Amino acid sequence: MTRPWSYRGISHGMIVVALLAVPIQAAAQPSSAAACSGCHAPVNDGPVPGLIGRPAGEIVTAMAAFRAGERTATVMDRIAKGYSDEEINAIAQWYAAQGQPAGNP
Amino acid sequence: MTRALINTPKQAQQGEVIEIRAMIAHVMETGHRRDAQGAAVPRNIIHRFQCLYDDVEIFAADFYPAMAANPFIAFSTVATTSGVLTFAWTDDQGTIQRATAEITVV
Amino acid sequence: MPSRSGTRRKASRRAILKSALAGIATLAAPPVLGQAKAHVIVIGGGFAGATCARRLKAADGTIAVTLVEPNARFTACPFSNAVIAGLRPIEAQYFGYDGVKQAGVDIAGQIVVAIEAEARQVHFADGARLDYQRLVLAPGIDIRFDALPGYDQTAAEIMPHAWKAGAQTLLLRRQLEAMADGGVVVLSAPANPFRCPPGPYERASLIAYYLKTKKPRSKLILLDAKDTFSKQRLFEAAWKTLYPGLIEWVPLSGGGRVIEIDAKTRTLVTEFGSHLADVANVIPPQRAGAVAIAAGVADQTGWCPIDPHTFESKLVPNIHVIGDAAIAGAMPKSAFAANAQAKVCADMIASLIRGEDPREVKLINTCYSLVAPDYGISVAGVYAPRDGLLTEIKEAGGVSPLEAPAAQREAEATYAQAWFQTITREVFG
Ligand SMILES: Cc1cc2nc3c(=O)[nH]c(=O)nc-3n(C[C@H](O)[C@H](O)[C@H](O)COP(=O)(O)OP(=O)(O)OC[C@H]3O[C@@H](n4cnc5c(N)ncnc54)[C@H](O)[C@@H]3O)c2cc1C
Repeated sequence: MTRPWSYRGISHGMIVVALLAVPIQAAAQPSSAAACSGCHAPVNDGPVPGLIGRPAGEIVTAMAAFRAGERTATVMDRIAKGYSDEEINAIAQWYAAQGQPAGNP
Repeated sequence: MTRALINTPKQAQQGEVIEIRAMIAHVMETGHRRDAQGAAVPRNIIHRFQCLYDDVEIFAADFYPAMAANPFIAFSTVATTSGVLTFAWTDDQGTIQRATAEITVV
Repeated sequence: MPSRSGTRRKASRRAILKSALAGIATLAAPPVLGQAKAHVIVIGGGFAGATCARRLKAADGTIAVTLVEPNARFTACPFSNAVIAGLRPIEAQYFGYDGVKQAGVDIAGQIVVAIEAEARQVHFADGARLDYQRLVLAPGIDIRFDALPGYDQTAAEIMPHAWKAGAQTLLLRRQLEAMADGGVVVLSAPANPFRCPPGPYERASLIAYYLKTKKPRSKLILLDAKDTFSKQRLFEAAWKTLYPGLIEWVPLSGGGRVIEIDAKTRTLVTEFGSHLADVANVIPPQRAGAVAIAAGVADQTGWCPIDPHTFESKLVPNIHVIGDAAIAGAMPKSAFAANAQAKVCADMIASLIRGEDPREVKLINTCYSLVAPDYGISVAGVYAPRDGLLTEIKEAGGVSPLEAPAAQREAEATYAQAWFQTITREVFG
């Protein structure tokens, strides 16, 4: 029978594609961090600071200050209150791992 | 109390069925809220609406707690004679808000 | 109906074929083949759809993604109120799809006219068909031209809604320019829910700004089918200081609900009176885009109930609905929300295709409104799925403070602009 054989052939091709795709998937932004990129651009060139490549500790400290109302804010004080330490940590870790942002001042 | 709105035709044919609309802006208290001290805030809703056509009651309604805050009422009546339509809303505090409209029947 | 039974027969034949293929695939290499063959179709290249298509490619490059959008150029609604007020050229609202294409998304410049959910197939206006494994519907809104007596497509050419940006936006702009000083502008706002809850009030503000600076003897009446609205206290306080006596807001309880339109005389009829306008902007009731109704994913409200974790339709399996068309619980119908939902939905579809359980994710919305070019206010919220709905997290969110220095209003106006630039770059850039 030729049919199963040809299917096996195709599936080998697919395996290669899938393996190549793995590193891309690992680098994909976690869903929880996706919310941030509505305002925080990957390029650090606007009035809203970029987060990519920023040290995790810096993000965690800033979020804690926003949440406690200890840092002047327009909306971040209102948004930070919706996130737990754990969630903030995960987001901060991911951004920190993204290397250097383009146009970091 | 507050502001009342009515919409009636200024003129109608004798025997014509006319539509009447009435609405009142009323700050409602459901009776289910508590104040800062935890005491129940007494209920204050519009509990009665009445419409008189030259002193004869042609429409009335009793309202209960499921009523909306600013009740809107639309009903029909038959234009009989030229005269005055009087509307009255009564709330739980006993305040009565009145409004009138004149109608000419030809 | 003969055509339907024909369809069903076709569908079941395909189903048999599919399961035969699946059997063979399982023998060969179970998870990989299924994954590599995945095809997701996204209908609608707006804030929700274009975001979702790109994000799907980024989440899993092996998924084939087709974005269906008839227009070669997207015209964005956010900031279109500034166009109406003459503060911004319409060109600043235009975005192309090159960036989406470069991200590996196939673009079909088509309109979807029908969806066969059982066969998992979409039908295009030109007769072509395309199979999907999962379908994302992001068609935005349609105006309900059947809801307000007298307000149809023809009336909209005289009394524009300008609630879909483009020709309607420019029409309203031209009418305001042509109006004599001392004219009366009448706006009407619908009952909830509708696209962009603070939008009518931002529009009233910016038109008032135009009138104050260019036609100071004019007046603006805002007829409302509601007694309360988004950021109300902030808007009302700003109107008092910036545009005293210029804006008259008539709430529902003040007789503000418009029940009929007479386009010939430019009259808006309410339950208790009528208003003759020199320029009228009717923002009518809305519903999910027609394709959502055709797909059977909209309920009797005209909007689409969804699972708050995956955005999968509660009515039809394998179809996800995002953006304005969806019933997203406490989340408003905004571009910010559409973009946030699209990202989560894409990630969820990628994990569903991989056979993983989707995780819970929080979403954010921030809506800025301009009351004047240098006066911005905002409302923000954080949302999570709770009891089958997207629910606002109580501790978070809220509006800008009622008392704030001018510098803060100015900062929020700047952030509003920055937000628009960032989001449109993420979606279309
Ligand atoms: C005046 C105004 C001001 C606003 N301001 C803001 C703001 O400041 N901030 C904010 O966050 N939001 C704002 N919004 C709201 C925002 O525009 C919408 O919430 C947002 O566009 C919703 O995105 P969407 O993808 O669901 O729909 P859309 O962006 O409308 O995209 C839908 C797309 O689907 C396509 N489509 C429809 N049917 C089909 C079909 N059958 N086949 C193929 N394609 C189809 C359409 O062509 C369109 O491109 C504003 C809206 C208005 C009207």
